[in-house]
Amino acid sequence: MRAIQEKNPRKLSWMRIRSIARRHFYVMLRSPHRLFDVTIWPLVDVVLFGSIGAFVAGSQTASSRAFGYLLGGIVLWHVIYQSQIAVSTGFLEETWSRNLMNLMVTPVKEWEYVAGTALFGLVKLILGTGLVAVTALLLFSFNITDLGLGLIPIGAILLAVGWVIALFVIGFVLRFGSGAEALAWGILFVVMPLSGVFYPVDALPDVVRPIALVLPTTYAFDAMRTLLDGDGIDWGTIGISAASTVALTAVALMFLMRMLRVFRARGFISRYS
Amino acid sequence: MEFVLNARGLVKDYARTRAVDGIDIEVVRGERVGLLGPNGAGKTTTLMMMLGAISPDEGSIEICGHRLPGGRSEAMQRVGFSAGYMPLAERLRVGEFLRMYGELYGVLDVEERIEVGLERFRIPELAEAMGTQLSSGQRTLVGIVKATLHRPSLLVLDEPTASLDPDVALRVRTGLRDLCQSEGTALLITSHNMVEIERLCERVIFLSGGRVIANGTPSAIASQFERDDLEGVFIHLAQVGAEQRKRDARRAQETDHTA
Repeated sequence: MRAIQEKNPRKLSWMRIRSIARRHFYVMLRSPHRLFDVTIWPLVDVVLFGSIGAFVAGSQTASSRAFGYLLGGIVLWHVIYQSQIAVSTGFLEETWSRNLMNLMVTPVKEWEYVAGTALFGLVKLILGTGLVAVTALLLFSFNITDLGLGLIPIGAILLAVGWVIALFVIGFVLRFGSGAEALAWGILFVVMPLSGVFYPVDALPDVVRPIALVLPTTYAFDAMRTLLDGDGIDWGTIGISAASTVALTAVALMFLMRMLRVFRARGFISRYS
Repeated sequence: MEFVLNARGLVKDYARTRAVDGIDIEVVRGERVGLLGPNGAGKTTTLMMMLGAISPDEGSIEICGHRLPGGRSEAMQRVGFSAGYMPLAERLRVGEFLRMYGELYGVLDVEERIEVGLERFRIPELAEAMGTQLSSGQRTLVGIVKATLHRPSLLVLDEPTASLDPDVALRVRTGLRDLCQSEGTALLITSHNMVEIERLCERVIFLSGGRVIANGTPSAIASQFERDDLEGVFIHLAQVGAEQRKRDARRAQETDHTA
């Protein structure tokens, strides 16, 4: 009789997901420098953008709304940042510690691995975004929860987009190896200005505006600004954002599976063994 | 006969070379098989294909009735893998590392299995050690414990005793023999240590140039090549391979000049 949980696939998957999440949690606890992402970086961001916001709001010509746009933007930006970084660097950790081969020959399915790192990412998300929100409240009296229930769908979309971007990063690393690791951090610096995190996309140069319009994040931050302006929940904009998130998820999954096939076909596992 | 591994017609091409050229390998329940061959013979590529980490260009692989790649997860549930060159995951204690892998394989009584595994290879004191504090021999033993936690039907080991002290290598062989006998686990093992293979394996498959060139008991293979032992066969094949490569290179040069 084998003491193996095979007859209950759901329970087995949950066991694997939990195990992967726990492994990354141990890594975070035992590598204090990795806490930078959830402590120092959020603090720097909120002080930087809060101060700019306070300065702009105090000037005679600027709109006082800019203050809320900047602080609301940076708090919600950290939802994408933390969820993306947790999954991307969770995968990179396997390559750095040469654990990828060990994992690839286990029964773990691709989606179970991603779910495990995403679950761990939720812990980082709560720590990082919580710190940003509390700091914004303490230093600038900006309470993100004043946005009300509309915050929930916007936050959920941004969380999903962070995970989806991480799938692209993992796909690139599988295909191009360690040279693509920089994308784990760099890709967000491309997405951030294009998404109109702190300003409406009308402020973008004409040539890049079409790119902004296909990003789900653009609509999510637009819906956030509508909330900040006191105009209530813009379900239409949130709906567009959700639909484009679903489309982007499908593209990311196809891309990842394609890259995984290439990884296996070309024997790229030898890079990590 | 109950096959735990049935691979047919495996072919794998890389950019300029054919690494594996039509290999058939089958392993039955409880059998201990050595996969040998000089460097570049195609051993590791063959193992990686059987583990689903590399996809073959041609051929089929079935493990305990589950065909790759579609049945990869179910197949890997019945396979354990360890390699002497692979480190343990960093920043984990040995017990945590083993528990993680036990759970990935769905082992319910994981703590008990870890205890049994560490005892089998006589390293129970390592459970609380950090992976980075272990010697290479200890890492190898822990790697094998990891690979056997879920009582696999097939245990695949790539160079498990490379750079181990003779006493640790003996402990590995004893533990593996005990495992195969008590649990009916089949073993597929690669090694450059011919004496070890002769002591541990009932059957040997010799690869050269990506092909199976001999398949039988260690003594039968030695007789086939008119050598005293497997080491003699290995040296003979390595020399033949080197001469062949020289001839190929000369022929390629001549063709270039003619062109």
